[in-house]
Amino acid sequence: MDKDGRKAIKKAAARKYSKVTANRLGVFFVVILLAFVGLGVRLFFITRENNDEYTQRILSQSVYNSQPIPARRGDIIDANGTVLAASVENYNLILDTAQILKADESTENHEFAIQTVKAISDLYGLDANEIRKYMDDNPESHYKILKKGVTVEEKARFTVLQDKARAAKASGDYSDTIYQYLTGITFEKYYVRNYPQGSLACDTIGFSRSVGQASYGLEEYYNDILTGTSGRKYGFLSDENNSEVTTIPAVDGNTIILTLDANVQMMVENRIREYAEEYKDNARPGWGANNVGCIVMRADSGEILAMASFPNYDLNDPTDVSILYTDADVARMEEEGTLRDAYDALWKNFCIADTYEPGSVMKPFTVAMGLETGKISGNETYNCTGSLTIADHEIHCHNIYGDGLLNVQGAVAQSCNVALMYMSQAIGRDIFLRYQNIFNLGLKTNIDLAGEARTAELVFTKETLGESELATSSFGQGFNVTMIQMAAGYAALVNGGYYYEPHVVSKILSSGGTVVDNIEPRLIKQVVSDSTSKKILQYCNAVVDEGTGWRAKPAGYKIGGKTGTAETLPRGNGEYVVSFISHAPADDPKIICYVVIDRPNVSVQEDAKYATILSKQILTDILPYLGIPMTEELTEEDKQELSEMDLSILTNREGYRKDEAGNGEANAPDPTIDFDAADTQAEEGDHIP
Amino acid sequence: MAEKKTVKNKRYFDFSLLFITMFIIAFGLVMVYSASSYDAALSFDGDSTYYLRRQIYSVIAGCALMAVTMFFPYKLYKKFYWVGILFSAFMILLIIPLGYEANDAKRWIRFGSLSIQPAEICKPAAIIFVSTLLAKMSPKVREKWKGFWFPMVPVGILCLMVLIITKNLSSAIIIGGIGLLIVWIGAKKNIWPPIATLAMLLFALSIVMFLKFGKVPDGLGFRLERVLAWLDPEKYYEGKGYQILQSLYGIGSGGIFGKHLGKSMQKMGFLSEAKNDMIFSVICEELGLVGGFSVIAMYVLLLWKIRDVSLYCKDYFGNLLITGIFAHIAIQVVMNIAVATNIMPNTGVSLPFISYGGSSLMILMAEMGIVFNIGRYAKFAEEEPDDEEETPEAD
Repeated sequence: MDKDGRKAIKKAAARKYSKVTANRLGVFFVVILLAFVGLGVRLFFITRENNDEYTQRILSQSVYNSQPIPARRGDIIDANGTVLAASVENYNLILDTAQILKADESTENHEFAIQTVKAISDLYGLDANEIRKYMDDNPESHYKILKKGVTVEEKARFTVLQDKARAAKASGDYSDTIYQYLTGITFEKYYVRNYPQGSLACDTIGFSRSVGQASYGLEEYYNDILTGTSGRKYGFLSDENNSEVTTIPAVDGNTIILTLDANVQMMVENRIREYAEEYKDNARPGWGANNVGCIVMRADSGEILAMASFPNYDLNDPTDVSILYTDADVARMEEEGTLRDAYDALWKNFCIADTYEPGSVMKPFTVAMGLETGKISGNETYNCTGSLTIADHEIHCHNIYGDGLLNVQGAVAQSCNVALMYMSQAIGRDIFLRYQNIFNLGLKTNIDLAGEARTAELVFTKETLGESELATSSFGQGFNVTMIQMAAGYAALVNGGYYYEPHVVSKILSSGGTVVDNIEPRLIKQVVSDSTSKKILQYCNAVVDEGTGWRAKPAGYKIGGKTGTAETLPRGNGEYVVSFISHAPADDPKIICYVVIDRPNVSVQEDAKYATILSKQILTDILPYLGIPMTEELTEEDKQELSEMDLSILTNREGYRKDEAGNGEANAPDPTIDFDAADTQAEEGDHIP
Repeated sequence: MAEKKTVKNKRYFDFSLLFITMFIIAFGLVMVYSASSYDAALSFDGDSTYYLRRQIYSVIAGCALMAVTMFFPYKLYKKFYWVGILFSAFMILLIIPLGYEANDAKRWIRFGSLSIQPAEICKPAAIIFVSTLLAKMSPKVREKWKGFWFPMVPVGILCLMVLIITKNLSSAIIIGGIGLLIVWIGAKKNIWPPIATLAMLLFALSIVMFLKFGKVPDGLGFRLERVLAWLDPEKYYEGKGYQILQSLYGIGSGGIFGKHLGKSMQKMGFLSEAKNDMIFSVICEELGLVGGFSVIAMYVLLLWKIRDVSLYCKDYFGNLLITGIFAHIAIQVVMNIAVATNIMPNTGVSLPFISYGGSSLMILMAEMGIVFNIGRYAKFAEEEPDDEEETPEAD
């Protein structure tokens, strides 16, 4: 082939492959086109699915400066308007060094820095040299907390100074002030929780030590309602790179109004403390009992009037456990890691969180079961020989010599275990278990307090309730209850059979004072008929009239009730929980008062008198206060006794008035509170150790 | 002779392609200004046009470069094909002593205030190198194994250099991808490019599957964390997932019509590389889906017109060059948008003609000049009198 021909063939080949390449490039173009379609679909879905969400995210991250505005935690106020918990406005003193230095660019001798530092160091007792040193070291700082816990008045002093300086500058008349150059100081508001009544009703109220967090009692249970919503001040860059500020105001928390009466509470607490002090270091070192608890509630609504226990603690300083431990003890427990448990034991509410065997206080419940189901008529007679053998166990009566012949009323009045065991045999397991449930034993009462114990595993079930268990259960041994369960159940037994959910809060108010929610008494069920209730009332009145509860009768009143003396585990250790549950007045119960003394500090604990005497003292104080008229003639003996008794109703009312006067400035800061101890609401993450 | 001259005067020039190119570049300037003004004002004491000005200088330099390549006969590249690839290899090696570091990787060489990214120079060098070798081969060799490895091994070495020296995976992928596509499209019956592509895709897929379902080893490298962040950007928000999420926030928040030009919030410090690799996200945020689709449409039009030139071009070498340039632009556009929408792991790929960056822009404009030049000879070649008469296609 000649050269030209070869060239021509080559050229032809080049043209051919050129065309093929162009075609294949066309195919590739289609592939790329499909890829673009895929990308387009992806774009479409990103936009469609996430438009709002991503817009939000961008807005939230575009904020360059945001300051929280604290919400004021709502107050806790008792039935009479006494403030039990309040939030007090406090301020952090903030130094903006950069602002001061910027302002000083226009002055000759750093007047802004000199005068501002002088003013705040004079007003707030700060070290001027230290502040100047900080400013020299951190010229760009915008935020330095110089002092925490500045009160409203203290803050006002600086504001006044600033206003005067401004006015002087405007008018040129400096006669009123020595300051002309003040800037770069701001006050950051926060709230501190304050409990004006100190330890009063501490277990019931609980405490809050940082924003939005609360422990125990009402504070924890109603935390969401009390907390409110903090607001925020946003600074962000607008379209033109200008900074703009938007404020979302804080929504202050709601205030809760209690059914609890601070006066009743105080009377109860004083009596309990008297008891604890009276028997202090009696048979063993320590207070008059491991725990003393008392619930006072309205019989026909479940409203709690007082709920107290001892030992207690100061809500303003909950980690002060000096009531139980020395500093050395605390140090040791901290080392051992048991301090938290010790705190918990002190802070928890004995009346709802501790479980124990109720003892004979259970007897009216057992009798009510029998009467209600017709298994006993009330006309039976039992012969107590001091013990009864059930399933090969010899179970003793508390009176080992035997109570002899007893009718039902006598069995309750004398608190005869043998008679009750006979009754339980008549009642049988199924009915007992059914009524255990009806009386809410093993179930929570759902009282509006945090920390109510769960007792479902602490009562008998179909599987565990044998013959002997049934027998001991009839007089309240073998299963566990909480005080609030017994009080609520007993109230239903004597008020005609109506079981009310116990509650502490009656009303929720907005921060502006309008009623957000009215909490009405909540009737859950009728546990026994009116006639059964009448009979139980009669038997329980006999307990005080002629039976084991005779010491509980307050002068001038007729009451009823039931004693309880429960042996603790392990059996035979000589340790008892003694208690007395009572209603007043006897024939038309208005008030239920339940006193439990956990292991009285005496050598022979097996005596309900400690509880009945304490009950009597409490009832003597509170019944007149609650406006329940005396129905009995006062004998000379009674008069004598009344005048001898330290009538805490009188002395305490005086003391209370003093507190009330103090309440007038409840919002004013309490100078005794140590803010530097850091229990401030503004600080997050400030937990209880 | 006379006939030849008249034909020469009627040389084909695709004005619409030039218009589209310049339109995209102009649009790019607008977007670079929008995306960079905030950052520039912060970094350069209120000089919000700093990046815009630099980009305009690049456009001017790019125009000059495009004018040169537009009139430089493309067939001459065939004679000096080795110059480009050796020069780019040399430039990459130069990074070792002279390079300066940014974002944990040395990618640039500085001459005074001018910085050059050698990886960009590799792209046209690879296009010319592979095209020349393929065009010089006899058709039979071209379809064989040799037709694949002969051009691809040097390109592969170049890729490895880019990968190892500059730690720039995306550029390595683009350079390798360009070479592969030229062979794939240019050598019709060569089975190796699809096999190689498939092998690499399987390799990538196995890594992803391993990371997704297997136990992730500790002490992951720079690259693997990006893959993890791609699989679950929320989890790696503090690290490699941040940029991806910011990009998605930008795209998602734009809606259909966007927040209007200049009103992106993401460019204010949240979207790093807003003017560069992530400019598509800013476009979508400001101009919405409509803007994003329009940009894609502009590229479709551009690629369509480039491919059009190949139809008129009767020269195999010329068409290979067009294929390479087409592949270069197409790969980068698809990769860039895929990264911005989190379809693939985050590798720094710029959006051709739009992203800020002088090296890339000038190289791309020079490549467009080559396309125009091929177009000029295309008509000429068709009218060439000593041409053989049309031979019917055998296949």
